[in-house]
Amino acid sequence: MSNQKKRNFQIDAFKHRVVVDPKYADKTWKILEHAIHEIYNHNASGLSFEELYRNAYNMVLHKFGEKLYNGLVATMTSHLKEISKSTEAAQGDSFLEELNRKWNDHNKALQMIRDILMYMDRTYIPSVHKTPVHELGLNLWRDTIIHSSKIQARLQNTLLELVQRERTGEVIDRGLMRNIVKMLMDLGSSVYQEDFEKPFLEVSAEFYSCESQKFIECCDCGDYLKKAEKRLNEEIERVTHYLDSKSEVKITNVVEKEMIANHMLRLVHMENSGLVNMLLDDKFEDMGRMYNLFRRVPDGLSTIREVMTSHLRETGKQLVSDPERLKDPVEFVQCLLDEKDKYDSIISNAFNNDKAFQNALNSSFEYFINLNARSPEFISLFVDDKLRKGLKGVSEEDVEIILDKVMMLFRYLQEKDVFEKYYKQHLAKRLLSGKTVSDDAERSLIVKLKTECGYQFTSKLEGMFTDMKTSQDTMQGFYASHLELGDGPTLVVQVLTTGSWPTQPGVTCNLPAEMSALCEKFRSYYLGTHTGRRLSWQTNMGTADIKATFGKGQKHELNVSTYQMCVLMLFNNDDRLGYKEIEQATEIPTADLKRCLQSMACVKGKNVLRKEPMSKDIGEEDAFFVNDKFTSKFYKVKIGTVVAQKESEPEKQETRQRVEEDRKPQIEAAIVRIMKSRRVLDHNNIIAEVTKQLQSRFLANPTEIKKRIESLIERDFLERDSVDRKLYRYLA
Amino acid sequence: MKIPKDKVRFNVGGRIFETSSTTLANSGRNSFFGALFNENWTLKQPNNDSSSNCEFFIDRSPDCFSVLLDLLRTGDLSIPPNIPERQLYREASFYGLLDHVRSAKWAQFDGNRLRHSRSVKGQAPGDGTAIRAGPDGGCCVAHGSVVHVFDWTMEEHPPLNLDYQRVNDVGWVDSESIIVSTCEKLGRGDGGMGLFSKSTGELRFKFQVCHENQVKSFAAGALSTSSDYKIFSSCKGRSNEYGIGVWDQVTGKQIDFFYESPGWSLGDADKLQWLNGSNCLMVATSFPRTDNCYISMLDFRDKRMVWSWSDFGAPITVDEKRVRDAIAMEDNNAICVVNEYEDLGFMDLRMNGGSVRWSSRSRMMKGKPSEESCCPRLALHEGQLFSSMDDCISVFCGPDWVLTSGLRRSYGGSICDFSIGGDRLFALHSEENVFDVWETPPPPIS
Repeated sequence: MSNQKKRNFQIDAFKHRVVVDPKYADKTWKILEHAIHEIYNHNASGLSFEELYRNAYNMVLHKFGEKLYNGLVATMTSHLKEISKSTEAAQGDSFLEELNRKWNDHNKALQMIRDILMYMDRTYIPSVHKTPVHELGLNLWRDTIIHSSKIQARLQNTLLELVQRERTGEVIDRGLMRNIVKMLMDLGSSVYQEDFEKPFLEVSAEFYSCESQKFIECCDCGDYLKKAEKRLNEEIERVTHYLDSKSEVKITNVVEKEMIANHMLRLVHMENSGLVNMLLDDKFEDMGRMYNLFRRVPDGLSTIREVMTSHLRETGKQLVSDPERLKDPVEFVQCLLDEKDKYDSIISNAFNNDKAFQNALNSSFEYFINLNARSPEFISLFVDDKLRKGLKGVSEEDVEIILDKVMMLFRYLQEKDVFEKYYKQHLAKRLLSGKTVSDDAERSLIVKLKTECGYQFTSKLEGMFTDMKTSQDTMQGFYASHLELGDGPTLVVQVLTTGSWPTQPGVTCNLPAEMSALCEKFRSYYLGTHTGRRLSWQTNMGTADIKATFGKGQKHELNVSTYQMCVLMLFNNDDRLGYKEIEQATEIPTADLKRCLQSMACVKGKNVLRKEPMSKDIGEEDAFFVNDKFTSKFYKVKIGTVVAQKESEPEKQETRQRVEEDRKPQIEAAIVRIMKSRRVLDHNNIIAEVTKQLQSRFLANPTEIKKRIESLIERDFLERDSVDRKLYRYLA
Repeated sequence: MKIPKDKVRFNVGGRIFETSSTTLANSGRNSFFGALFNENWTLKQPNNDSSSNCEFFIDRSPDCFSVLLDLLRTGDLSIPPNIPERQLYREASFYGLLDHVRSAKWAQFDGNRLRHSRSVKGQAPGDGTAIRAGPDGGCCVAHGSVVHVFDWTMEEHPPLNLDYQRVNDVGWVDSESIIVSTCEKLGRGDGGMGLFSKSTGELRFKFQVCHENQVKSFAAGALSTSSDYKIFSSCKGRSNEYGIGVWDQVTGKQIDFFYESPGWSLGDADKLQWLNGSNCLMVATSFPRTDNCYISMLDFRDKRMVWSWSDFGAPITVDEKRVRDAIAMEDNNAICVVNEYEDLGFMDLRMNGGSVRWSSRSRMMKGKPSEESCCPRLALHEGQLFSSMDDCISVFCGPDWVLTSGLRRSYGGSICDFSIGGDRLFALHSEENVFDVWETPPPPIS
């Protein structure tokens, strides 16, 4: 056998591998390719879906998936290139419409193609990790059309120009805009962002930067804010009409930055129309707009707050240091309340009841109220005024409102103990003179103080009320057991617990004989029912009603103080009395006597006495007569004492001193409490903790705390550490 | 009575079928019928040719069509004996109804209703290492250096290998991709870890470990994946790259490495479990270089071991309870462990340094484990706990983990691994190279 023959000899495999006719694949693909062409040419109605589906299925089944896929890519690309050309050719305004129409066509075609090639999409594509048909169609559209050199820039410019035209007031076809933008979004968020959103934001920033510059030169603050708000709303509306909702934050950020953040300080401080002017003129609407716009930008609200705070502090400072205002405490407090009301309504009407603003308001008030050391006294005087007369005929709710406002001012006080001191004095006067208008109002205020500062703060005040009540019972008991006292003068005694009341150390005077006898009876009655008590008379705090008949027979009932009563009773026996004689007979302290004589001899309409010589002041050599010519249209005449309502300078010093004196034991108690629990503590920490503990009553002075510590060391409550002198130890 | 408006007439391979578009709507959009109809389920291409009597021709087998039409009508699949299953599946694939067939074959997984569906025998020599259920009802089995892949019909796909190195673990990334971890081949950089395509068997990525900017060869052990597209594997490198490697599923690039600290085993771990809720990886080492067991929870965000437990230094008790497998139960804030006698133990994840609370329970089987028995394994599925011992799998339910079912097939010897997924349970036996498929049967008719 020759070699050649050998070569020809072959052993065939038992079974031939089944090979599909290669022409079969080409043929099938031709059918499908034709179908795709027909679909793009709007001729799909002549196609048989079943046949096409089956053909695609067979190609995949017979391992021609790749050929099918590549064919699809090539055919679709060539169609898209044609579309690209015809779109490019579109003139002027019809460009977008043409693009939109082609896009809709492409989407419909893509849906049909995907239906035909569904089997490939489902089985072949996942197994080889290729792009599914629908996504492929979008990608090809993006690459061949949207990103083609002749379309990309033109599309971008057209869209941006339309937006610009809309901003200048023209009406544009929003439906078309929406469709085109939707197309960009369908092609993937990155396409939308790169091809539209980014340049859109850049152009917008430039536009608003120019516009805001123009506005700020020619508008006042209120108008500018109105314009900014309008622009902002326009952009938000634009987003809802034809942009991706995610763009809203981005475009509003641009407007906020360009129109608000960049001009914030200039707007706030704008002359004649800035925030301060708005505050002065109560321009709620403008301030509300400013608040809503500024809250959108970083530091916006804090800028408003700072301006408001500094303005408020400045006006507040002027208010509390204005000497004119200091003349009338009631007026002074009313001014504070009015100022507070004004800002409360600004914050609730314009600043959305913002907590941070309320805090700023509170801290400002706290700042300037405490600038004036007399604020506690004035506030107490204000209450006194209201409770004496101001609340007559006012409904219960209104009383509550006024009391609440007072409490609010009280909260701002740092020296609450000073307020307590004054309040006690004023309350005592009100109670003893029976001048208080409403018991309910008094108690209501005490309850409020109690919730604010705890029961220690008000226990003495409540004690005063209890004393008043017990005294009533005591007097009933006294008269019940002394029936023989039916005629003659009536004695009303109020037994005051020492300590609860702001008593002055026992200044007594000589009472008229008939009174002192009665007093003695009461003393023995009282000491008889209560053992182990001491009773001393506070004649400086009493009042009396006496009947008097004047020269022409006119009768009057005079309401006077105890001192005045003593003086008047002297005139039962004498017509003329010298100052010295009166002083000797009554032993009333000089200052008080002068004051009470002044009130009876020098005040028009109340001058039951006549003085020689006639002058305003009381001299040691003056002589006094009963004023026979006294007339009054009232039967009852109330003769007040000339009392400086405000404290005089020395009295003020005295009160201050007493307050300081009272603070000492409180500071010491706080130090001991703290050291008892801590055992060892350094100086700075003690100061801090004591200040914190006492905050609700007053602001403790560090030097005073230091003095108290020294004092406690002297008394062996504490000792200094032998090594570290800054450390204190508690000695049990 | 009128003829229903939605009547549709098909001519399938010469036989006429009449049905309604409502019935066909059950097939969904992503099917042959979905493409045939428009959004309102009326025929897209009305055949105006009156002679064909409005019928729609399909060039397919009428027998199978009738079965599938019945499936669309009733939701039940009943295959007549004269139709081979493979043929039916082929037709279902044509119409895009494979998912319908699959979900009609077996119901949602319930450990207490499982029935043995079939046993699959393989040709590979030697013992199986691991079996993993795929998300769509298929599975893959690691045998020596080869991984066999089965789809849900138990048709075998091309087997996978990574340089024919011994396979340590396999896992599914998604229904199309499988990761394989293998031993390394000394000095040649072979082995390690690879990601394969299920259908074609091709290697898509080979994962690398970099140590001080140098690529190192390594042996990969246990695998886990997370929902944020990460792959975790325990690694043993050539020069101390012991620890847990982290790779990105999409790019295949290494993104992190957790080096093990001295005296603590991570690189030898034989179980990894990603915990979604706490963003932690549980790493359990039961057969490490030393004879101790280590379980730890790793937080990769701040490279911290947030919880750990070890039996190192614990006194050896009489019955010597050694942890053999562990599983974290996030909902219960606990880790469940099992010992070689199939006792379950629990640890509290909320406190560190606790001890195992072993639960005494009625066992299916008492007595000494036989010589060739395999180590017990644990799995958790929808609040049901599974543990394998010898040739039986026990099912535990409820807050106290009461034993509720036992799954046993005497054929194939003891179970060396099992896995739950795609509403199926696969149990790999140590002998005879066989694995069992367990399914929940479809619910009874009303």
